[in-house]
Amino acid sequence: MTPVLQPLPPPETFDQSSSMWVDEAIWGHRLYDEQIPWMVFLEFLNVFYHEVGKSRAFEEPNGLNMLKYKAAHRLYLRNILFNNPHLAEIRLNYPNDSSRWDEWLKRMKSSTGITHPQFNYLKDHFHSFDDFYEVVSLIRSTSLEVNSNKRWTSKFAFPYGKDCLYEDLDNTATTNDRRFFGRTGEVLYLMLCRAQRKQELLVALTRKLGKTDSTWDSIIKCLQPTDDEPMSGDRANAFVPYDQHSSFDELAEDWLAVLRLNIPGFDVFPHLVNLAGLHLIKYQLGVSRQVLGLTPPLSLVCEVVAPKKTLVREISCDLYQENNLLPAQAVEAYITNIEVGEDWQRALTDNGAFEKCRKILRDKVRWGEDYDGSPDPQQLIASLRQAAMRRHHQHVANIHRNYGREIGLVSKRGTMKLRYAPTDALLKTLLFANVESRIELHQFLEKLHRRYGLVFGDKDAERVLPKDEFDKKAFQANSRRLEQRLASVGLLRRLSDGCAYVINPYRVEAG
Amino acid sequence: MTRWLQFLRHYGPVPRNDNMYDETIQRSARRQGIAPIEFEHPAQAEIVNCFGHATADPVSVILTGTAGDGKTHLCRQIWKALKGQEEEWASDSPYLTLQSRYPKDRKMWPGSDDPTFYRSVKIHFIRDLSGWAPQQGAEWEAGKEEMLQRCCRSLFTSDTDEIFLIAANDGQLIESWRRLKETEYVRQARLVFEELLVEDKKQQPGVRLKFFNLSRASSAELFDRAISAFLRHPGWQEQAEGSPGENEVFGPKCPIRRNYELLQTELVRSRLRALLELCDYNGLHVPIRQILLLLTNAVLGHPDAKDHLMVPADVPKIIAAGTVSKASLYNNIFGGNLSELRRQTITIFDYLERFQIGYETSNRIDNILIFGEGDEHLGPYFEELLVKDQFYGADSRFYASKNAYIEGTNESEDHASEFMQMLVSQRRGLYFKIPKNKEEELGLWELTVFKFSGEYLDNVLSVVKNHGIIKRPIVSRLVKGLNRVFTGMLINSDRDLCLATGGNNSQAKVSRLLLEQVSLEPSKGEKIIIHFDGSSGRVVLSVFFSSDISVDFNLTLIRYEFLSRVALEGALPASFSKECYEDLLAFKSQLIAAYMKRQTRERAAEGSTIGLKLLALTEQGMPDPKFVEIVP
Repeated sequence: MTPVLQPLPPPETFDQSSSMWVDEAIWGHRLYDEQIPWMVFLEFLNVFYHEVGKSRAFEEPNGLNMLKYKAAHRLYLRNILFNNPHLAEIRLNYPNDSSRWDEWLKRMKSSTGITHPQFNYLKDHFHSFDDFYEVVSLIRSTSLEVNSNKRWTSKFAFPYGKDCLYEDLDNTATTNDRRFFGRTGEVLYLMLCRAQRKQELLVALTRKLGKTDSTWDSIIKCLQPTDDEPMSGDRANAFVPYDQHSSFDELAEDWLAVLRLNIPGFDVFPHLVNLAGLHLIKYQLGVSRQVLGLTPPLSLVCEVVAPKKTLVREISCDLYQENNLLPAQAVEAYITNIEVGEDWQRALTDNGAFEKCRKILRDKVRWGEDYDGSPDPQQLIASLRQAAMRRHHQHVANIHRNYGREIGLVSKRGTMKLRYAPTDALLKTLLFANVESRIELHQFLEKLHRRYGLVFGDKDAERVLPKDEFDKKAFQANSRRLEQRLASVGLLRRLSDGCAYVINPYRVEAG
Repeated sequence: MTRWLQFLRHYGPVPRNDNMYDETIQRSARRQGIAPIEFEHPAQAEIVNCFGHATADPVSVILTGTAGDGKTHLCRQIWKALKGQEEEWASDSPYLTLQSRYPKDRKMWPGSDDPTFYRSVKIHFIRDLSGWAPQQGAEWEAGKEEMLQRCCRSLFTSDTDEIFLIAANDGQLIESWRRLKETEYVRQARLVFEELLVEDKKQQPGVRLKFFNLSRASSAELFDRAISAFLRHPGWQEQAEGSPGENEVFGPKCPIRRNYELLQTELVRSRLRALLELCDYNGLHVPIRQILLLLTNAVLGHPDAKDHLMVPADVPKIIAAGTVSKASLYNNIFGGNLSELRRQTITIFDYLERFQIGYETSNRIDNILIFGEGDEHLGPYFEELLVKDQFYGADSRFYASKNAYIEGTNESEDHASEFMQMLVSQRRGLYFKIPKNKEEELGLWELTVFKFSGEYLDNVLSVVKNHGIIKRPIVSRLVKGLNRVFTGMLINSDRDLCLATGGNNSQAKVSRLLLEQVSLEPSKGEKIIIHFDGSSGRVVLSVFFSSDISVDFNLTLIRYEFLSRVALEGALPASFSKECYEDLLAFKSQLIAAYMKRQTRERAAEGSTIGLKLLALTEQGMPDPKFVEIVP
């Protein structure tokens, strides 16, 4: 962990949608809670493929935070998949193939977002309307968010290949209103640009993406017209305030570890998504702790779900709550730091203190233009504090909870309060990222503790908790349950008397 | 006279320090002049042969396994075979040495006694690594460390005149080796141990080591030998001599004697053995110590006695109090005489509990138990199975409680739960009493959670062990179960194995894309067979894609049960669904990989169009593949 943060200053021009630059100064522009980790990954892929196309993947040739890219819209594909409730009905009510096509083409004339919709090209690819119907059903069945009640422009085909990628759009299908593609994917991309092992990661990622079965990407290409559709305008202004950070390197390492395994086909994606989510959480909490000057590392005491309430659950709930408040405390601390900083203190004693202070705020946090309270620096900064906290709580404060729930780290299962209770899926991801072929269970736990702050067993708990809170038996029972969980999903080989090996069924690929 | 039963207690679930188990028994045996219960371990001959005339070039041997697997006992057999001194062995030292001679040329035992043909080899016996190694967290003493370094070296070079015999629990072995100074030999040795342990092997080519994991022994085979040794111990004979009185220990009304006699019956033995065999095929190994504990508890158990085990003095009191039925062998076998806390900490009872015998039942069984008395159809069963059993069948306590339950007169919770407890006990009794020829009629195996156990034992296990062919309906049923799990649909196909994926995820719940249908009957290199793998002692289901591309699946009892239930009932049984489901999806992944391998080998030029086979079901639930072609 870099002990002292050296954040970059706010950019000259920045996204006008930001009314101030506080959360952004601390964590970047931006971490967005409504963009779930899968969406983060999709946005990332859009950026990645664009940059690969320009032969500058994971590089920032124009300087830090100067990322500019374009994304596809693919409105023909999206209208077919998600704005098209007609297929089943037409198939049922219309007698023959040509009448079905005719009716359907007629209805699709009212597709959104395309100037002169022409879907005739589909007839060249499919022998019958029936075939077309089957294929569309299949693709829908693997799509993301297909069953949610999100707007149709926020539903996504599974990323089988680069022809499946597009950006989120608003209801009129014209612009990316940053509702679900809130730039966190861009932040993820920039983080990896600054990871030490990015070259290796680039090689591994391109190789894995290149090895996947191209059938489905080809099929999805068939659902799109041959001439290129217009791309989006330039997307820019993503910002990550650090040119290096341990989180970036750890994320790259975990992605590398997983990409190198023998995992078939697209099965590797959910793990990349989980790891992205996990590291973004760690990044947010880690940076918060650094801003607050807290030295002991992050601790996430995890309960392996038990039938009854246990001490481990209680501690986990408490720690969850504590961690949940960290980002807000960091925002407070950030503002306080301005207040006690040299510049502000000096300005207070000068003539025209208020205007000087206002300028400081404009420079540092891009805020103060609209302030119409009394011309008193105290009031000014109090008002900033209020506004900043309110804004923080709208979105950035929820990352820990939202991402945590999405990746299976945080849950309410079996109880009423949220706490850390990793699901089997997340445990698998952690295992794949940290076990090359096999290691002893206690070594695995030690690694999880060292790299993520996760606490399952008594050895790590003893180190992390105050003496009066620590209960050896409860934590031993917790790690026994973990053993059983891992054994039940086939990842643990138990020898006699507490000697157990955690096994990765997908050993590292040769070569 | 009564020393035998006092001595026998040592084998039961009494509180004790487990590390001293063997010594305590040996010491007690010597003191009381009673021979401990002993028998030859099935692997004994092979292990002793590593040191005797059967080998001309001995290598080091490691005996590993859990507590109670017989490691120390086997070490003693080797010691005796090599003419070691008895007094030396009787000492408490965890470390002993012996000199023995072996052929100098390391190839053949010389005909003559001439010493020039022999070399002297020092054999180090570390008969208890945990007692010899340093405490947790402490470092190795210099002398011991040096010896183990030599041991590591001896595994990879042949120029030494010393070999090692080490008996240790798996965890202890790995742990101790980790605390040694990390030389190249130590590191290599550790890797070898890990590999042999996790992959279940006995040796590695080029490594001078024989590795015996006693936890791999068949629990059923150990049971056969243990129960013979247990029952024919002269202690029982002595107990029966002296014609005990009517209400005395080992008299006609004595529950201890009754239990002993029941254990000797073929039916009880075979049912008990079946349970242990099923444990084996669920990957659960029962150490010898646990088997002896089971037998001792079965005979002596009574919930009201001290430590829940009867002593001779208890017997007259129990008879007088009319609580003989509480000493039911059938209930003791499941640890029903012990407190719940105690029971949960004992391995064998934990394993047997998984069968849920006593708690699972069928309408038929419960009707016999509750309403059978005097009933026209069920009466004869009630007579045969409950009334005839004067010790543990229907006694006055049972009748009273049953009638109260039926009449519903007493509304109290306690009363109902008392009867429920009795029912548990009676169901357990039925498991051991239902005669072989009535197994199917009365649904014996419905008394357990693995309803297909009987079929597994009789129609699968014994058939494949004798290289027979399994009946077609059984294999078809398994294939149907696999198909349902692989496709996520209630498909009825049982002649081909449907390999289906979801397109983006090989482990999707519902998989509609059909990759291939593998024929059950041999056809063009494809086939599906079930056979026995002697080296691992497992029942294996193998799917062949071609003569040289195949995937094996360990068909444990639990997986067999799961697939059968999915095939017949259509629903994923909740009790063990997650574990089996994951296993099966992993199997599907392997099958798909093997299929791809065959395709890349056989496929000529790729076509220009994209072809998909989509799976739908007909009304009868048969696969209805639909072909869709897409022109790019």
